[in-house]
Amino acid sequence: MTKMARKNETSLGRRRLILGLGAGLGGSVVARVSPAAEGQGPAHPPHVADAPTGHEVRQDAWPFYGKVQQGVVTPRPANGMVAAFSVLAKTPGDLEAMFRLLTERILFLTQGGAVPELDPRLPPPDSGILGPVIAPDNLTITVALGSSLFDDREWLTPHKPKRLQRMTKFRNDALSADICHGDMLLQFCANTPDTNIHALRDILKTMSAHLVLRWKQEGNVPVVPPKPDGSTESARNFLGFRDGSANPDSNDVDLMAETVWVGAERDEPEWARNGTYQAVRIIRNFVERWDRTPLREQERIIGRNKASGAPLDGGTEADVPAYDKDPDGKITPLDAHIRLANPRTPKSRKNLMLRRPFNYSNGVTKSGQLDQGLLFISFQADLEEGFIAVQRRLDGEPLEEYLKPVGGGYFYVLPGAPMPDNYLGETLIRAACRTTACPT
Amino acid sequence: MTRHTLFAAASFLLMAGSSLAAPSTVLDLVEPIADYKIYVSEKLDKLVEDTEAFTAAVKAGDVEKAKSLFAPTRLSYEAIEPIAELFSDLDASIDSRADDYEKQEQDPAFPGFHRIEYGLWEKGSTKDLDPVADQLLADVKALRERITDLALPPEKVVGGAAVLMEEVAATKISGEEDRYSHTDLWDFKGNFDGADKIFQLVRPLVEKQDPAFVQKVAGNFATIETTLAKYKEGDGYQSYDKLTDDDRNVLSAAVNTLAEDLSTLRGKLGLD
Repeated sequence: MTKMARKNETSLGRRRLILGLGAGLGGSVVARVSPAAEGQGPAHPPHVADAPTGHEVRQDAWPFYGKVQQGVVTPRPANGMVAAFSVLAKTPGDLEAMFRLLTERILFLTQGGAVPELDPRLPPPDSGILGPVIAPDNLTITVALGSSLFDDREWLTPHKPKRLQRMTKFRNDALSADICHGDMLLQFCANTPDTNIHALRDILKTMSAHLVLRWKQEGNVPVVPPKPDGSTESARNFLGFRDGSANPDSNDVDLMAETVWVGAERDEPEWARNGTYQAVRIIRNFVERWDRTPLREQERIIGRNKASGAPLDGGTEADVPAYDKDPDGKITPLDAHIRLANPRTPKSRKNLMLRRPFNYSNGVTKSGQLDQGLLFISFQADLEEGFIAVQRRLDGEPLEEYLKPVGGGYFYVLPGAPMPDNYLGETLIRAACRTTACPT
Repeated sequence: MTRHTLFAAASFLLMAGSSLAAPSTVLDLVEPIADYKIYVSEKLDKLVEDTEAFTAAVKAGDVEKAKSLFAPTRLSYEAIEPIAELFSDLDASIDSRADDYEKQEQDPAFPGFHRIEYGLWEKGSTKDLDPVADQLLADVKALRERITDLALPPEKVVGGAAVLMEEVAATKISGEEDRYSHTDLWDFKGNFDGADKIFQLVRPLVEKQDPAFVQKVAGNFATIETTLAKYKEGDGYQSYDKLTDDDRNVLSAAVNTLAEDLSTLRGKLGLD
């Protein structure tokens, strides 16, 4: 079963071709080694510091305009980053100006193009880290708003999405104020980390009057080539387990409409339609301790076979565990992570969420241990029925011994900009201007 | 895609500002630079005079008096920091922070204003500060001497406006500069005054070619002035921890935007 949506066959075919030829090592190897294979000796033997040319998909772009924003059900590329900001806007006019400029920058960054040239006596208009022509590199930038944006502005407060709230501590959390919350969150996803960094630096440079950066977290997931039959597997997290096996199929439009996108049937403000709630959690993993835990215990804590990702009652990672045949938890313990998170009952269907996590590695703690873990990201149409309900069920799980959530926050992903005349946040500004005086 | 990319690119170009001065305006800089030199001299005279009183209080063991003179003495230094930084040996001796030394505050090499600040606020004492005070006074006098003999390079003067904002943006907005006394808002005032002085001196040269730029920069200086004014107390400013998160954001955005805009000032004046 393929859980990850594919944009088009061309891209997949091309990727497969590259990976097949280069055995996953990248295009430069393919291009430079083949003459040697023919006995001619390499014309340009690769150097250690050569840029890997493996990303043939750098020219691929996701369309910007649409009913919903990119970066939610869009296939997850290898690299992700979230950045939280304070928003300066005091009035609807300020906020509209911010949204319009942000839309303009996202449009340029995600679609790519040449950077304008200025007189060399001026600072260059672009950091230049992607060169003079920006390749889209499958970049998506997803804009979401935090509770404080609404709470701190009287004219915006009545329009706050019903379930948007400041994240509060769960029992195992040790939240650090420096990496929590924010008026606005930008999620960047791209094939290469440099593309995300370039985009962030562009936004900081061009939007300094509107935004102040508060915190950011980068992460990545391993690139795993599709199997010969074209199917793909879930990436592994830093605990060594596949993460995302039970994710709802993001290609299933009806299922996404039910679990992710806020539709007309929900009691949310009309402006918020086609948006979604985003939960972000920076979850430190105590990896040294985890690696010293017996394999069978690890598997019982998670509820999956570590090597294959299959449920403990067998099959493959795509198979659904039959908890009804295991009511006492003899095969999958009742407090196993995956069983608590998703008990697979008709009642738990409303708790489904779409996860889009990345692994992060930040350095070393004062104790000399690795500071690494999971940049957890989930999208759900109902924050309380989704992430919050699931996390409450997980409170007290045996896995807590190995985890410490330290940061993150809750945000509301804006609806998309459907047409070239629209900007992100437009429906919110219009709603606010119906209840407060706005400049025309 | 192409149409929107072009649109985005075009507006980027407008934002970044595309009009540059003809090189001939470099001659027009002679007068502003001369005026700036007078400004720097006045600040240096004031710095030496204030440092004499400040170090005298330290050496007299008068902790309270020394504390009251610390922030006002630094004002003149902060206003001309980009010029003072042309002499990195003196700048390090006068204004470096504990982080610059391996053993931080306990490092015997930790000198200058912040070493004295540490003694006054953290230890509540002037113990061991005599030699530090003597060295500080000698350093500011040496600085005045060296700068008096210096022909100010125009690109350093004009670039200095942006440098002052970079300083604030990179290491001051966090409140880490005056971490013992929390008198950071005084330093801000010095930095902003110094940057605004440079901007005002060259303003007539930029005004005609780019009035929108001049208006935007003046607007951001005004925002900073208004925000700082909220924290005025007597002749100076309240403690940095009184600054609200909201006002810190306002200052941070204004400082970063000024740093962006003022970084184009050299180019706009045709300086390389």
